[in-house]
Amino acid sequence: MEDLLYVGKSIPRKDGPAKATGRAEYTVDVSLPGMLIGKVLRSPYPHARILNIDTSKAEKLKGVKAVVTAADSLKIKHGFVETPRYPADQYPIAVDRVRHVGEEIAGVAAVDEYTAEEALSLIEIEWEELPVVFDVEDAMKQDAPEIHPSHERVNEPYHNIGGKTANSWGDMEDAFTKSYLVREDKYYCQIRTHAYMEPQATVAHFDYSGKLNVWTSSMGVFLKRAKLARTLGLPYGSVRVRKTYVGGAFGGKIDLFSHEYIAALLSMKCHQPVKIVYSREEVFKGSRHAQPLIVELKTGVAKDGTIVAQQIKTINDSGAYRGSGVVVIFLAWGFAMAPYRVPNMRYEGYSVYTNNLVHCPQRGHGAPKMRLAVESQLDMIAEELGIDPVEIRLRNARRPGELLPNGDSVKNFGLIECINEVAKSTDFINKYGAAKREREKDSKIKHGIGIGVCAYMGGSLIYPNSSSVIVKMNDDASVSLITGAIDIGQGAETVLSQIVAEELGIPVEEVQVDAADTETTTVDIGSWISGLTWVTGNAAKKAAAHAMKKLLDVAAEKLKENADDLAVRNKEIFVKHSPDKKITYAQAIAASIEKNKGDSVIGEGHFRTMKEEPTHPSLATAKGRWTENYSCYAQVAEVEVDTETGIVKVLKVTTAHDCGFPLNPMLVEGQIDGQVSMGQGQVLLEELRIEKGCIINPSLLEYKIPCALDMVETAYIDVITEKYSKDHHYNSKEVGEGYVAGVVAAVANAVYDATGVRLKQTPFFPNKVMNGLEQIQKKKAR
Amino acid sequence: MNKSQKQLISLKINGQEYEFAIHPNRTLLEVLREDLMLTGTKEGCDDGVCGTCTVLLNGAPIRSCLYLAIEAQGKEVTTIEGLAEGEKLHPIQQAFIEHGAIQCGYCSPGMILTSKALLDSNSMPTEHDIKLAISGNFCRCTGYNKIVTAIKACCQNAVGGH
Repeated sequence: MEDLLYVGKSIPRKDGPAKATGRAEYTVDVSLPGMLIGKVLRSPYPHARILNIDTSKAEKLKGVKAVVTAADSLKIKHGFVETPRYPADQYPIAVDRVRHVGEEIAGVAAVDEYTAEEALSLIEIEWEELPVVFDVEDAMKQDAPEIHPSHERVNEPYHNIGGKTANSWGDMEDAFTKSYLVREDKYYCQIRTHAYMEPQATVAHFDYSGKLNVWTSSMGVFLKRAKLARTLGLPYGSVRVRKTYVGGAFGGKIDLFSHEYIAALLSMKCHQPVKIVYSREEVFKGSRHAQPLIVELKTGVAKDGTIVAQQIKTINDSGAYRGSGVVVIFLAWGFAMAPYRVPNMRYEGYSVYTNNLVHCPQRGHGAPKMRLAVESQLDMIAEELGIDPVEIRLRNARRPGELLPNGDSVKNFGLIECINEVAKSTDFINKYGAAKREREKDSKIKHGIGIGVCAYMGGSLIYPNSSSVIVKMNDDASVSLITGAIDIGQGAETVLSQIVAEELGIPVEEVQVDAADTETTTVDIGSWISGLTWVTGNAAKKAAAHAMKKLLDVAAEKLKENADDLAVRNKEIFVKHSPDKKITYAQAIAASIEKNKGDSVIGEGHFRTMKEEPTHPSLATAKGRWTENYSCYAQVAEVEVDTETGIVKVLKVTTAHDCGFPLNPMLVEGQIDGQVSMGQGQVLLEELRIEKGCIINPSLLEYKIPCALDMVETAYIDVITEKYSKDHHYNSKEVGEGYVAGVVAAVANAVYDATGVRLKQTPFFPNKVMNGLEQIQKKKAR
Repeated sequence: MNKSQKQLISLKINGQEYEFAIHPNRTLLEVLREDLMLTGTKEGCDDGVCGTCTVLLNGAPIRSCLYLAIEAQGKEVTTIEGLAEGEKLHPIQQAFIEHGAIQCGYCSPGMILTSKALLDSNSMPTEHDIKLAISGNFCRCTGYNKIVTAIKACCQNAVGGH
C-alpha cells in the first residue's frame, strides 16, 4: 500500500470532544421556543376493531393544543418494503383496526407531560375485540385468525403469510441419496431488543412557511424524509430532516415510526414544535424489536465432510405488520450460501403475521440465526465423521474468485486465511481436545472452545441506493465536507474526513463536516445495510479528488509544468523535480476562481454499487445481484460453564476477519468489541418475555444486557485483502453487523465442547444448560 | 400542581450557585436538563438502572433520575459540563477519546463521571475495581473493552506524573 497519512490510521473520532463534554446535541436535547410535549395513545388490545374514537374531552382539557387520530391523516399506508408483490401494509396511525398491543391510535400535544398524559386518559374508544394468534407456527395453520389477507401471489397451504422467499439449485433428491451422512435439526431464536441507550425521540416543527422540520433519532435522514413526505402528502422539499447525534441504533431506528408521523401531524395541526420522547418502558412496550427466526436445516455431506446438499426452511414472526420480515427471510438465505460452498440447495423462507409487536432489523439481520444453525450442525457432523471443526470448515469455505448462486463474486475472499489464523492464534485444536477430556472429569467448572464463521454483503441496492458528497475548497484553503451520512456512533464522519484529508493532503482536524441534513447536504444510503464506509467513502474520495484536480490543473498552468509532475505537501503544490517551484493551495484556489471567472472550487463525487445492474435482487426468488463486496470472518469463543449452576461465562473471543482493510483500525476494533458484547447478550442473557402480545419484562432491570462485569476479552487478526490507492476507488467490506453471528455460533459450539450439551434455542439460560446436563446424566445412568 | 406549591431552592452546580423555584417532586435530572439546560446529563431508563444520568454529589456518583433536586441543596453537584476547563479537557475525557472508548456517546457523560469518582478515591484500581465501579453504567456500543483501557491509561498517566 502506498504511503498513507490518514487512511488506515487509528485517528480518534472527530466528535469525541463534543461527546466527552456533553455538548453533543441528541434529539432528546433539542428544545425550541414554544415547544409542546407529545404523547401517544396505544392499543391495550392485541387485535380489535375500533368502532369509535371520542377525543372531545381531551381537546377541552386546559393546556392541550392538539389531538390527532386517523381522521386527521391522509390514511396512506407505508411499509419497510413497498413493492408490487409486497404493498405497504401499515397505517402510521391506526384507522379502524389494531393488530398488536401498543399500536398507535392517537396523539396529544400539550404544554407539559402531565397534561398530555391526562389528555390521553380522556380519549374514549369503543372496541370490538377480535380473535388473536401469537405463536408463529399456530398462525400458519388454516384455522388461525386472519391478521392480513395473504398476498394473492403467495399460493401456500399456510395462513397469514406476509411473504415468501424460495430458491433452489442442483438435484436435491439425488444429492441427499448420494450423501454419506444426512442430519436434520431445528433451531429457534428468541425475540430480543436493541437496547439503544437513547430512547426513540422526535421533534417536529411545521413552521409558517409550510415546511416540516424534523429532528429524529435515526439511521438515515433521507429514508425518513421520503416516508414522512409520502405519508403526510408533502413534497420532499417541504420536509427537512435535520442532523442530531444518535444515541445508538443497531437496526432499531430504520423505517418510519408512528411517533414520528404523529409528532409531525400534531405540529401541522397546531403550528408549534412538538417533542415526543419514549420512556424506557415505552421503548419496550411500543417500539419495534428484533426479528426472530426458526431455522429447519437438513444437510447432506460426503465422507470427508464436504457439504453436498442443504435444505433449509425458515419461519419468521414479523409481528402485526411486515416490518422487515420479508427481508430477513431473504437475507437468511444469503447468510446460508455465502461462506461455504453448497452445490445443491433448496431454500424456502416464510414471513408470517401474528398479533405480536412489529419486528425490525437488528445488527446482523438474520445472520446470527442462520449461522447458529449451520455452524452448530456442522460441528455435530464433524464429530460424527471424526473430523475436527477447523478442518471441516476449511474443506467447505469458499475460495477467492468463486461465484455465488446470485452471480456475485466473493472476489478476494479471505475466509481460508481467517479460519487458519484464528485456529493457530487460539491453539484451537489442542484446547478442543483438552476440553473433551475435561468433560469426563469430575470438575465443577468446565472449559470449552468453539468456532463460528460468517460472511456478509455490504452496501446493497436499497433506497436511496447511492451516496453523493461535495467537497468545498474555501478561499483560505480550509475544507468543507458536505455529506448526507449520519454518524450513529460507528464513526462515519471521522472516516469520511480521513478520506478527504488523504486525498487533499490536509490534516483531518481541518476538514469541517456538514452532515445528515436533507436540505443542506447530499443524498446518502444511510447507516444501514453495512455500506456507508464503502459507498459514501468512495463518493467522498471522488469528490475530494475532483476538487484536487482543479487545483492541480491550475497549478500546472501557473508553474508551466505537467500536472503529473506535481506533488502536494503542507497545502502547497510543488514540482517533483524542483521542489522550490511551488504555489500554495490558497494561491491555486484564487487562480482557479480567476481563470473560471468567479466559479468557486467544488468537488463532486457519486458512488453506488454495481452501476450497470438495473434492478434490485428479487425478495421472492433471491435472484439478482446484491453487491460487489463480501466480508468474512472466523471467530473463536472460549467459555467456562459452571455445571452446578448452568451459568456460562464467555472468557475470550478471537476474531480473524477480512473487512478488506481497516480504514481506521481503532474504529474497526470498536465495532468488533460491540458485536462480541451484543452476541454474548443474544446467546446467553437477553430475551423479551411476551404474554398475550404484551412485553412483560419492559425495563433494563428485567431485560439483562451485558454490563462491564460481563466484559469479554477480545483479540483481532486482520486479514487484509484490499488496498487504498489514490487513483482508483477502494473496496472495503462490512465490519459492523455480521460479527454478532460468528460470536453466537462460536459460543454455542464452545458450550457443547465444554459440557456435551447441544442447545438449539437461544438464549442459553442456566436452566437450559442444567436440563441438558441432567439429560446426559440420565443417559449415562441407563 | 399549582404555582403556590413551588419551593425556592439553591443548588451549587459545577461551582456555580443557582437559585430558583421548583415543585419539590422534581428530580435532579429533570431540573438539570429542563430548567438549567445542562443537557449533557442524559436520561436512559428513568429507573435508576442504566447509569446514563450519573452526576457527582460531593464527588460520589449518584443517579440523578432517582434523586430529588431539593435533596441536593448544600451539596456540590458536578455534571459533565463541569469537567473540562474551557477547551482543556479533563484527562479522563482525553483518555476516552484517544482510546476509542466513545462510540454513540450517549453513555459517555455518566461513564466518565463514574470513572472520575473511582479514580479520585482510588488512583491505582485493579481491572476488577474498574469493572465493578462502572458495572452500573450500561454501554451498548463498545463492549466496555476500550472504556476499561481508557480508565487504565489514566492510572498510568497518574503514575507517570502527567
